[in-house]
Amino acid sequence: MKLQALGALINVELKKLIRHPVNLFMNLLFPALLTIVFMFTFSDPELGMSINSVVPGLVVYAVIFLIMTVAQSFSSERKLLKRLKTTPMTSTEFIGSQIISNMITAIVQVVIVLVLAYLLGFKPESGFEGILLALPVTAIFALSSVGLGLITATISKNPEMGVGLSFLFILPQMFLGTFMPLTSSTQEIAKFVPSHYLFDALKSIFEGNWMNTNFFFDLVIISAVSVLIVIIGIVLFEKYGNT
Amino acid sequence: MTCLTSDVNNLLKGLNRKELLEIADLKNINIPNNWSKQLIMQLLSLNITLDDIPTNKTKPVKTKKISDGAPIIVIKDLVKKFDDITAVNNLNLEIGEGELFSLLGPNGAGKTTTVNILTGIIQPTKGNAIIAGFDVTKNSSDVKKLIGVCPQEAAVFSFLNARENIELFGNLHSLSKKEIKERTERFLELLDLADASGRKAGSYSGGMLRKLNLIMALINDPKIAFLDEPTVGMDARARRKTWEFIGSLKGEKKTIILTTHYIEEAEALSDRVGIIDYGKLIEVGTPQELMEKYEAKNLEQVFLNITGRRILEGI
Repeated sequence: MKLQALGALINVELKKLIRHPVNLFMNLLFPALLTIVFMFTFSDPELGMSINSVVPGLVVYAVIFLIMTVAQSFSSERKLLKRLKTTPMTSTEFIGSQIISNMITAIVQVVIVLVLAYLLGFKPESGFEGILLALPVTAIFALSSVGLGLITATISKNPEMGVGLSFLFILPQMFLGTFMPLTSSTQEIAKFVPSHYLFDALKSIFEGNWMNTNFFFDLVIISAVSVLIVIIGIVLFEKYGNT
Repeated sequence: MTCLTSDVNNLLKGLNRKELLEIADLKNINIPNNWSKQLIMQLLSLNITLDDIPTNKTKPVKTKKISDGAPIIVIKDLVKKFDDITAVNNLNLEIGEGELFSLLGPNGAGKTTTVNILTGIIQPTKGNAIIAGFDVTKNSSDVKKLIGVCPQEAAVFSFLNARENIELFGNLHSLSKKEIKERTERFLELLDLADASGRKAGSYSGGMLRKLNLIMALINDPKIAFLDEPTVGMDARARRKTWEFIGSLKGEKKTIILTTHYIEEAEALSDRVGIIDYGKLIEVGTPQELMEKYEAKNLEQVFLNITGRRILEGI
């Protein structure tokens, strides 16, 4: 793997994040907007939701929407991907750049959500240490969003279809894997939703309660599932998606 | 029966008009002078069998090299099928080092598919191609270090400006910062794109995108450049400028494979042209040789004689 090529590709991806209006909105402005709206609307103890349970959910929301941007981006840039394939760039360099740039995006999203939430009254019991720990945990989870985005792009014929189909993966994670109230049966289904474990892990972190087996169990599940999903995504996209 | 007719059709497609008329003559079939190749083929396919086609006519076109050195591209029995469609049909061709070779053919003739196989974008169904001693399927990473590809549709990052697009490709080819900077400046000047180089490519006109597309293909100073319809969508002035630019590359001993719809472009620039239709190489030679052979005033007449249809058909 050549660092020069990898660095150049990451640079392009990060420029896309800033310069592409859809990416800028979905990845940076949307999490900010969501944080403001949710903090005002739902962080009411009478609704059974405290600020401390809303904030981990907002982080999860921001990161799962990466599925949509990855799917949209891969389905709309097929011509470019084809062209890149005629250069000495390797698949490892290309996929590596996607993973790293999306992990960076996820970290920026966590920072945006936490800074805004803090300004609106969120005071994590864990202090600054917890916030630092939330960054790598969320970045690892971002791998699963890249993988699901690649799977979506593989089955999408165009960017519009990519955006639409991405909700197949976004909605279950939004409703089953965050702070939405669940029935006993949906709680069982939620155990198969990756975001459920990120939400749980972030909750433990912000409550200053991460030195226990539950947190480590969540971390192991997040890491294993994310790596597995991204591998499946890469294999499927390489085989069927890049045509 | 259907299968046999289709076999006859396939063999007839590989023949030129003159050869079709010879077969018609042998079978005492009267063909009016103004009939196109397509019509002659249709009539023959209804009246002859496989045995009526002389075996010497069914062999692939033999190619001639005009360069002194060994061929840098050798294509052997290349076939590419997409489901029922044979896009490239037993293509055999040799291209010499430093040669500017134009591949002409109507839409859907198999030009771009051939280029896509040679550049490693798609795999052939059968046969192989060797570029500078490397098999395009087995040693594609070695091939990619030597080539530059200008695809038919401008493929650039719309949110990057021209310089950033070019720099990216320079970095993917592991060029030094100095090399990237020097070549970028030179190419932008040569193609009149320097003034707009700071603007996002998304705001470019079709012609400007084409120029950027071309520069991105040449930034690595490739030994072999594949230019797939590089001037489509350019106005006459920009096209002339680009022809001059492509012509200047010949002086740098680059091998250039050009596919084009503009026959005058091929005539002006090429050392040799190959005419491809229905995935088969029908004719190959220097523009002069072909014009003499077909007693034509220009390459367009040669093309019409051979394919029986206009090159711009369907655009």
